[in-house]
Amino acid sequence: MRAGLRKYFRIWTRTASMAMQAQLTYRLGSFGFLLGKMIRLLFFFAFVVAIFNHVDTVAGYNLVETALFFLTFNVVDMIAQIFFRGVYGARRTVAEGDFDFYLIQPCSPLFRMVCSTVDFLDIITLIPVLVMVGMVFARLPPLGWGRYAAYAALTANGVALIFAIHVFVAGLTVRTQELENAIWIYRDVMFMGKFPVDVYARPVRWVLTFGIPIAVMTTFPAKALLGLLTPAWAAYAVVLTAAALVLSARYWRGSIARYTSSSS
Amino acid sequence: MKKYLVAYSISLQETLQRRSTLIMDRVGGFAVLLSLYSFWNALLGTKPSFLGYTRPEMLTYVLLINILRSFVFTGRGWQLVGEISSGRISSYLVRPLSYHGYALSLDLAQKTVHVASAFFEVALLSALVRGGLFLPRDPATWALFLAAAVLASLLFFFMEFMVSSLAFWTSESGGPLFCFELFLAFAAGAFFPLDVLPEGLRRALSATPFPYMVYFPARVFLEKVSLAEGARLLAIEAAWLAVFLAAALAVWRRGVRSYAAEGG
Amino acid sequence: MTVALQTKGLTKDYRSPVKEPGLWGGVKALFDRKYKDTRAVDGISFTIQEGELVGFLGANGAGKTTTLKMLSGLLTPTSGEAVALGHVPWKREAEFQKKISLVMGQRTQLWWEIPAYETFRLNQAIYGIPEPDFRRNLDELVDLLELGDHLTVPVKKLSLGQRMRAEMAAALLHQPRLLLLDEPTIGLDVVMQKKVREFVKAYNKRYNATIMLTSHNMTDVVELCRRVIVIERGVLLYDGPLDRLVERYAGHKILRARFKTPVAAEDLKALGTVVRVEDNSVVLEVPRDRIAASAAALLGSYPVLDLDVEEVDIDDIVRRLFSHS
Repeated sequence: MRAGLRKYFRIWTRTASMAMQAQLTYRLGSFGFLLGKMIRLLFFFAFVVAIFNHVDTVAGYNLVETALFFLTFNVVDMIAQIFFRGVYGARRTVAEGDFDFYLIQPCSPLFRMVCSTVDFLDIITLIPVLVMVGMVFARLPPLGWGRYAAYAALTANGVALIFAIHVFVAGLTVRTQELENAIWIYRDVMFMGKFPVDVYARPVRWVLTFGIPIAVMTTFPAKALLGLLTPAWAAYAVVLTAAALVLSARYWRGSIARYTSSSS
Repeated sequence: MKKYLVAYSISLQETLQRRSTLIMDRVGGFAVLLSLYSFWNALLGTKPSFLGYTRPEMLTYVLLINILRSFVFTGRGWQLVGEISSGRISSYLVRPLSYHGYALSLDLAQKTVHVASAFFEVALLSALVRGGLFLPRDPATWALFLAAAVLASLLFFFMEFMVSSLAFWTSESGGPLFCFELFLAFAAGAFFPLDVLPEGLRRALSATPFPYMVYFPARVFLEKVSLAEGARLLAIEAAWLAVFLAAALAVWRRGVRSYAAEGG
Repeated sequence: MTVALQTKGLTKDYRSPVKEPGLWGGVKALFDRKYKDTRAVDGISFTIQEGELVGFLGANGAGKTTTLKMLSGLLTPTSGEAVALGHVPWKREAEFQKKISLVMGQRTQLWWEIPAYETFRLNQAIYGIPEPDFRRNLDELVDLLELGDHLTVPVKKLSLGQRMRAEMAAALLHQPRLLLLDEPTIGLDVVMQKKVREFVKAYNKRYNATIMLTSHNMTDVVELCRRVIVIERGVLLYDGPLDRLVERYAGHKILRARFKTPVAAEDLKALGTVVRVEDNSVVLEVPRDRIAASAAALLGSYPVLDLDVEEVDIDDIVRRLFSHS
């Protein structure tokens, strides 16, 4: 078990370093993308701050709390981007035959497909986010370590849930050899997670909690930290993620058994 | 002239054909629309107005963002980058066809579809929410709005074209283009009315062409500028357009020359 | 001699959706999916001993690549059994995967923008190759494949031949005992083809590795394989020594010549069977033992501008094989 983990860790760091090297050959492009990502992050944050120059609360949350929601979204989203980015190129991976190699080599093809293209720019952009999270934590009233533990746990839960979604999309791509459009729809809808789910009208909130459970991923951890999440909801979050993981794993296994490979 | 009409109709069919991409784009747009609307709604809460925008005005602003984005922020930038880097552009350069005219025709086709969808989305949302909309009664307002919007879309088109032309010199122009589009979205007021920003920042931005793309036409529509002032700002917008039109053409000519020089 | 590989009744069906063209067809397809079943591989059985170098022949789409893919564990068969190196391939056990390798011509597992060496290191991590073994294998492969300083250059800057050799190195770092090669020489120039063939032969000899090779290139097959298996439309048509196959079905070579002035077909009949005469050029089929004599006669008696001696295309042989059975 431990040898297995060590092996996968080594493979991950290897592919991450290779991806970084490959990216560094595109210096201007990388700089542009990094700058773009930073701009998006900072401008949005500046917007939130600017809003609170004019009001005290939005949907009952003050600046610090709103910032917490926004930053939690970013933490979850960025961690997912760092580790699961491979799915965005899944169609190409299958069409160009790389996936064939993944199936033949003694390493989980799911792991290779999902985790093989790490964008180190995402890792760089995560740093200011974590710094800002620290700043927000500093401005919160003293809360017990239990709350922080709940926050961490639910954040990890959110990432796991996103993983399940990505596995499902990867399986879909292997099966139909076309659609990774599904993942882009997920990303589009993720935009809604930037705001605390309370701002949305009830029907929308329901969709975001039970349909495409973005609320679970991004709002729940922050709510837990602020003491606004009942144990029932937390239990729902965990059960949902567990179910999603099991179902997506099954779907993936079925997809591989049905795999037809792209060339003759 | 006829060839451009043909290009328009072919591109129209093509855009409709690529249904999944279209749906993805619109779903994404709708998600943004819904989030922004919900956020502003929550922000307004029970207050009668915010930053001088009443509830109907604020909601109308959000709806206008959706429509203006679909009208202004399409462009042929990414396609241009693709065509330059793949070399396909050579086939256009030898034809008796203005590439700009051609690209504009294609862009217009795309805009047609996206604007139609945007209107549908907006209608859908207004039917679902309370609060009413702000619809100007003065035909002069409508005229001014349309003029501003048309100029805005042309302004964006040529600005983006200019940045995309970087592809003549580097294969990594995707990065700068990405960065440009993100920065633009914020500076144009496509996420929030620029009134939110502190005075200094707002003044700095009004010296740039960006606010003319969304913020200015929206304010015209909401009759927040007098007709006289509106006309004056329209003239400035036209001036910016002239500047970027000339700049884009100049960069283009330079680019084509250096491209051809490489025997590409 | 131990059995390396054995298949029994291996069958693979493909199910592909059928859609009527046009918009209405697309809408219909949403509600009522119709499928077309194709049998790519139909009950193939054979046994291969350890250390054999077997050629897999057949026209495009005959099922060779599908069979190789099933043997590597890439595809799961619809029915039938196979055991390779003591494992069922499609169970994809790590033990098994560490002993095999699949090389596909014109496809590469090497990362494009960075040196091949980096991909080698990745494979080291994947296959769990200890450092001393890695160094030793790498040195041997670099030597055998003449890779020299090609390993530190980004893969995109390598020529096709260099890339193919680097690809082979990447595939063999873990010293697989079973090597599956799918069109390894496709797209390579004659010199490079020879290098790859020599390498395969050397690898087979040195490590007693079992090698299965598909190719459209008759020279590959002739040089490397003593035994061939012929597949046509998923069915195994022939499994036996190559010389018997070639003798039986391709006892001749093709002679192509271009002349300064037109030459009558009548005159050439003595040299071989005239397949085609056009303007100033002619194509002849000449028995193998008479090829040198016929070529010399042509050159001596006629105003020849250009002369080519070719092997019969494998597709032709297979077609003939199929028409016989």
